[in-house]
Amino acid sequence: MRDLYQRLAVPPEANDQEIQHAVASCQHSALRQDAEAVFAVAARREVYDALHDTVSDIGRLRARLGLSHGAHWQGDVANDFSLPPDHAISRHDEMVDRVSHAVSLYNRWRRLRAPWLLIAVFAAGIGIGASLGLALCWGLLPM
Amino acid sequence: MSIARFSPFELLLLKSRSQVDTATLLLLAWVLVHRQHVSEGQRRRRLAQVTAPFRHGHELAPVMSIAHSQDLQAIQLAAEVVRKECGTERSLSIIHQAITVATDDGELSLANHYILRFLADLLAVAPGTLNTLFKELTGTPLTTPEDPSRDAYWQTHDPDYHSRKAREAAAAEQRHREAHARAEQQQQHKEQRHQQKQQKQQEKQQEKQRRQEEARQSRERDQQRQQEQARQQEHARQRQREQAEQERQRSQRQGSSQHERRSHDSRQQRTAPPPPDRTARALSVLGLTPGATRVEVRHAYRRMAQLHHPDRFYSESEQQVALASARFQRIKNAYDYLMQTY
Repeated sequence: MRDLYQRLAVPPEANDQEIQHAVASCQHSALRQDAEAVFAVAARREVYDALHDTVSDIGRLRARLGLSHGAHWQGDVANDFSLPPDHAISRHDEMVDRVSHAVSLYNRWRRLRAPWLLIAVFAAGIGIGASLGLALCWGLLPM
Repeated sequence: MSIARFSPFELLLLKSRSQVDTATLLLLAWVLVHRQHVSEGQRRRRLAQVTAPFRHGHELAPVMSIAHSQDLQAIQLAAEVVRKECGTERSLSIIHQAITVATDDGELSLANHYILRFLADLLAVAPGTLNTLFKELTGTPLTTPEDPSRDAYWQTHDPDYHSRKAREAAAAEQRHREAHARAEQQQQHKEQRHQQKQQKQQEKQQEKQRRQEEARQSRERDQQRQQEQARQQEHARQRQREQAEQERQRSQRQGSSQHERRSHDSRQQRTAPPPPDRTARALSVLGLTPGATRVEVRHAYRRMAQLHHPDRFYSESEQQVALASARFQRIKNAYDYLMQTY
């Protein structure tokens, strides 16, 4: 499995015309024959594109997981689909970080809830007392 | 620290009772998605069968939908979890399950070739072990995947390959024949034109030869006339001499002075007449002095034509080309004139 797009120097989303042009201007006769066989028929190109997507996904995964030099990753595939090592951090570590962040937020909320509850109860008591006093004043004045 | 939401797979993993089982489930679902000629229901049933002993404790549908969406980050996360948590024993069992899921009827799709090998690399399973396991489970050895980027693959896998090739060849043949016919027509046209041109040239040459012949004949006639004149003069002179001798016999002194005058006249007649004005001008155009031979004229013409040919000035301005063609025309006229008259 070779990356014909890379070898013909066209992007994988190129339209038929660009690909025909690239194939026609290809210097390597064997590669040109193979590319003609694959790209001349739409059905064949679809099959090739599906596999190309999967294999480039695997190449990306291998680069991120540090598996670009595995025993099962050799030959044309490894040559064409290996990417330079990706410095993206591990998805698992990132998830653990986010979980711990969420946990700390939750803990802080739990810790802060008790004093706020006291303040709220105190304020509510003051409010009730003030309203009762006012009611009494309003009740006494007419009397 | 990002405060982004948790992705569906992360939520699933966090809710799961066993993270390894959930991660394995996603990887197996990924393999299943790349299996061909299987319906969605069959896929789900097969996944449920294979993962019956798993302790994840959630539905399979969300896992299948994540696998269908080809979420690379989710697959990466699952791979990391599996790699982190699995020992040798569990690794082998996962590979075992993956092979079963990928090849129920012994046929491995191209994508699954690469996915299985990726899982083997991920779980540190050596190629030898993978081959043995595969052979044990399916009865056929694990072959190298075929290469759809090559012509040979389509030769064996595309049933229309040969008919399509034949059609293309027929079309190419047709085009070739048309081009050939057109070229032949053009060739005929060209030949006709060439023949016409040759005829014209022949006529011109004949004309030229005739003219040369005429010129030669006239020259010969001139020469003959001159010779006759000379003979007549000689006769006259002889007669005169005889007369003179007769006269000398009569009177010695008178005859001597007359003889002197006559000899002077004959010397003037013997020198060649000077070339006409036009010939001298044509010769000077070719850079020659009067009296040059025919061969010299031809050589001079060739040299001058090479020097002043308009094609030499093609790369320069149009004016240069026009000037050069005027010069060339003058040289050619001079040469033609000289060739006719010389």
